[in-house]
Order: sequence, then structure tokens, then C-alpha cells
Amino acid sequence: MAMPAYVSNQETLAEGAQRRKRRRLVTAYLFTLPAMSFLIVFLFIPLFAAVYLSFTNYNLLTAPEWVGTHNYSRLFDDPLFWRGLRNSFIYLICTPILIVLSIALAIVVNRPLRGVSAFRALYYIPAVTSIVAIGMIFEFVFAEPAGLINGALLSLGWIERPINFLTHPDSTLISIMFVTVWRGIGFYMIIFLAALQSVPDELYEAAAIDGANKLKQHWYVTIPGIRASIIFVAIISSISALKVFEEIWIMTNATGGLLDSALTLMFYLYRQGFINLELGYASAIAVVFTIITLIFSIANLRFLERNTDAS
Amino acid sequence: MQANNPQEVMPAAVDVDLSRPRSRPRRLTGMERFKSWLSSSGWYLIMIVFALITALPFLWTALMSVRPTSANIFQTGRPPQIIPYPGMIGWGDGLSTARREGEYIVLPNSEEAREGRPVGVWRNFEPAMRERIEGTALEPLAFPATTANYHRVWTDVELPRYFLNSIIVAAGVVFLQLLTSSLAAYPLAKMQFAGRDILFYVILSTLIFPEQLTLIPVYIMAVNYLGFVDTLHGLIIPFGANAFGIFLLRQTYQSIPNELIEAARIDGASEFGIWWRILLPLIRPGLATLAIFSFVGSWNNFLWPLLMLRDTSLYTLPVGLAFLEGAFTGNLRTVAAGIVIATVPIIIVFLMFQRHFIKGLAGAVKG
Repeated sequence: MAMPAYVSNQETLAEGAQRRKRRRLVTAYLFTLPAMSFLIVFLFIPLFAAVYLSFTNYNLLTAPEWVGTHNYSRLFDDPLFWRGLRNSFIYLICTPILIVLSIALAIVVNRPLRGVSAFRALYYIPAVTSIVAIGMIFEFVFAEPAGLINGALLSLGWIERPINFLTHPDSTLISIMFVTVWRGIGFYMIIFLAALQSVPDELYEAAAIDGANKLKQHWYVTIPGIRASIIFVAIISSISALKVFEEIWIMTNATGGLLDSALTLMFYLYRQGFINLELGYASAIAVVFTIITLIFSIANLRFLERNTDAS
Repeated sequence: MQANNPQEVMPAAVDVDLSRPRSRPRRLTGMERFKSWLSSSGWYLIMIVFALITALPFLWTALMSVRPTSANIFQTGRPPQIIPYPGMIGWGDGLSTARREGEYIVLPNSEEAREGRPVGVWRNFEPAMRERIEGTALEPLAFPATTANYHRVWTDVELPRYFLNSIIVAAGVVFLQLLTSSLAAYPLAKMQFAGRDILFYVILSTLIFPEQLTLIPVYIMAVNYLGFVDTLHGLIIPFGANAFGIFLLRQTYQSIPNELIEAARIDGASEFGIWWRILLPLIRPGLATLAIFSFVGSWNNFLWPLLMLRDTSLYTLPVGLAFLEGAFTGNLRTVAAGIVIATVPIIIVFLMFQRHFIKGLAGAVKG
């Protein structure tokens, strides 16, 4: 008895499906190939290499020498590492200041006033200007005795001696933090503005009917309404505060400030790695740095994912 | 390696309309109008104060860039000299002659130029202008502005070249990132294949690592194996793929209906054809966002070019700027002119493309 024709037919169908599936697999991976080659060479391999290097001594010229955990124990006894760590944490103070100021500003420019769009655009300009240029501009602003601030205050007679914004160990880091805040406000303002515009007007009306004044309305309606944005800004501004580098390089003329007063963890990494060419030691700093930022980064990632699921 | 400033992580889908306030107030009567003016003037006051805080550092730099001498703007016992009027204005050679004689004009292709005199146009407007200002209330505040600092920084330092280098690098980075991200995001969003989700999460999880961690190994590779030192492609290739860009475009692809792709497949189109002819035009908004995002990132990138470049003729704008102070020790007017030249174009571009910029860079946060 002959085999019914449809059996062999079904077999070829299954084979065909198998073949198509294989082809689709190949096609899919071909599409990801260019991106993956870049990511593998410049991201995945370096990630592991960095951890490996942190257990070695390496200066670019001779082969890496395995030293075990020596770099980490050296970090532990290195006062400059602790200085950098401390300064990086001090830098995190920028985050709450940025949040408060940029929410306040967003509330102001969220009003339907004539010409408000010009103000919004103006506030955003520092965010698109390069940090290098801004650092140099603020060197002029902070200059002694004839910079913008010192010159004005001296000629008004409000101060007798110029303020040492960038030339005194106690004030250098704070002055640079001021610049970071100044540059960030407009950027975060836009994020909060987007959030504010999604808070329904009815909530304010309801609060007003319940007898809440303007300030209370903002406290009970605005702040909860933009909670997600506040968390988001807290995360990204903390990460960028930890990573701050250019401002410090420019405004301390690549020194890290008088007596290393503005030395952050990132700046110390730069100095050990690329000035002293202690690449193994610098890698250990990078690993510690990563662990610290990881806390913030993971929060960031989870946040990103949650928002993707929602959309 | 990723050049993402964390401030710029997560561009977005939220469209903040900068161009126009949300709703216009209705037409008001005279008294009402006065009242609303009174209440809004407080808001304007806040906005103006903050506008001054934002603008003053820039204006201060601009003012310094047109100063004729190193004399301070603020001097004790005198009002500040903050109002510029035309002084020595011009471009090209012959500045010192013009300082002596009040004027130097040798136009290109003129007879004098053919005789070999250097080309330049300078004129000192100061005497004429001073006459007008003398005795007015403005006099103590005014000073003669000059274009000499701009001419000097433009010719002494290779600023035009830095500009070109920055544009080449930024264009290269934008092109590569758009290409690699739009290719990779397509199967991740729209194809069923083994290992898809793992691949996606591996790419996504790289976002949690700061670029500082990969910086040192990439630097070692670039110096020892890839020969990236003193090359422009060395500033482009390490940034050729962007995990965040893949994430962003995957979202954009997901908004495209599957039926469209299925229909094209039934018509016998190849996957590449579908991507090129059908999908790329549809994901243009996402591409624009990514383009702006990677352009700004590359344009402002400082540390990587600082590490890679020794040859000054390859400097990008931020690196060139950073070394300007060394090039003109003590002559801050020239440095200020350099800053203005480097900053104004990007501000103009921003003001032209405001809406796209904000849309591209501001957060995608649903409040």
C-alpha cells in the first residue's frame, strides 16, 4: 500500500518550518552583529579586563604583574582615596539642591504667562553648552579680584577682600558644585515641567475647594503628582554628581585643587591612571567607583524597565 | 565604551512644548487686567532674576571678549565699564597700522593687494563715537569695543580646524550609532528567535556600568593595539554602538504594527529590504532623538579626546578650548573670544531646533 501523499508533504512542511526558523535565527543575529561587535570589543571585554587589571600592576610598557588584592589594601591605606571618596559624597549634596530649585523653577514657568517660552529656552541653554566652556566661563566669574562676582562686590563696597572661590582649599569644591547646580537646573526643570503638565488640573481644583492655599496645593498635589520624576532626577543627578570630572579638571587647571581639596574619586582615577600611569591601581579605583554607582545605576535601570512596561 | 553623560541618559517620549504656554488667559477687563498684571509681575520678577543668574556669566564672557585692553571692567572708585561702543573694528592684517593711523583698508583683489600689501580692513571708530558719548550719562559706563581679540584667536589658534574636527567626529559617531542601533533593535523588537531576551537583557544590563570602568582597558587597547592615538577615527570607533540607543529604538520599533511587517514578508520582501524600505522611514522620530542625543554627547566629550590627542591640529573643540588658556597666558580677552566662538554656534543650533532638542534630551518620565 502506498504511503498517502500528505504524509511526505507534512514532513517537508516541518522541514521547511525548521529551515525558515534557522534562517530567521541567522538573519536576526546578522542584524545585531555590527552593534554586538562594537559592544564586545569596547564594552564587554573591557568590563572583565578592568576587574582583572585591578589585581595587577600595569604601566602600559611592561606586562601586567599579578599582585592579588594588593591594590585594594593599598586603597584602604591611601588618604587621597578617602579624600576622593569623601569629596564625591559631598558632591551628592548637589542632588537635593538641584531637585528643589528645578521644581520651583518648573512651577514658575508652568504658568501661562506671556513670553514664558523664551525664559524656558534661556534656562535650558547651559545644558547644551559644553562643560569645558562653562568651566572656563566660571573661571572668569570667580576670578580675583576683578571677576564678575568679586569685581561687583568690591566696587559696591560690600566686601573688603576678594572671595577666594577657586584659590582656597575650603571653598574650591563648593564653588565647583555651585557651577554643577547652575548648569543642571535648566535641564532638570524641563523634566519636571513635563511631569507637571501631566498632573490633572482637576486635582488642584479639588484641593482648592477643600480649602488648600497655593502652597498647600503644591505640597499635597504637585509633589505626589511628580513623585516618579523626583525619583528619576534624584537617581540620575546622583550618578552624574559622582562622575563629575570636566568641571574639576578645568577649574583647578587639571590639578584637583589646592592641597587636593577638590579631588573626587573620578579625578583620582584619572590622576592615577593617566598621569601616574598606575593603570592597575586606577582600575581598582574604577571597580570601587563602580560598586558605589551601581547602587544608583540599578535603581535607574529598574526605573527604566518599569516605565517601559507601563507604556 | 559609552560617552553618555548620565544627565542625558534616557531621552524621551514626553513632548514638552516650549514654544507656547499651555493655555492663553481669556480677554480681561481693565481692572482685572491690572490685577492679573500685579499678580503676574511677581512671577516675572522671579523669572527675570533667574534669567539674570543664567545669562550673566555668558554676558560677562562676551563683554570680556571685546575689551580693547587688559584693564578691568570693575575698577575701584569708578563705575563699571559695561556698555560697549564701536572702537577698533575690522578683520585681517593691518591692525597695528590702523592703531597708528586710524584706518587700514586693503581689500582682496584690490590694486594694493596685488602689489603685495597684506589684506585687511580695520577702522578705529573710537574718536567719532567718543565725541557723541562725551558728556552724556553713559560716558563713565562706556568703553570702545574691538574685534581684535576674535581675529587673534581665530588666526593664532586653529579654532576653525577644531570646529571641523568636532563636526567630523560627531558626524561619525551619530552615523555609526544610528546604523548599529537601528539594525540591532529591529530583531530585538520584531523577530522571534532563540536567545532574543537574553541578548536584550545583556545589552540593557551594560547600562548600569559607568564608562569609567571600561575607560582604562579601552585606553590600553587604543594605545597598545589599535593605534588610536592622534587619529580622528580613534575618537569615533569606541563609541560606535550605544546600548541605550538600542534600547530606545527597540521601543520605537515596538510601536509599529506587526501586520505591516507580515504583509511585506508575504509579498516576498527580504528582512533587510523590510528594514531599509519600510521600517527606517517609520522610526524617524526615534532616530532623530538618538541623533541629537549622540551628537551632543560626542560634541561635548572631553576626557577621551584629551587622552587620545597629542597633535594639536587634531584637537576637538572642547580640548582646544581647554588649552586656550595655556596658549594665551594672561590674555583672557582672547580666551573669552575663543569661548564665544565655540559656544555661540551650538546655542544658535539649539534655539533653531529647540523643540527637538528638548524632546530628545529631557526625561521620559510619566509623572
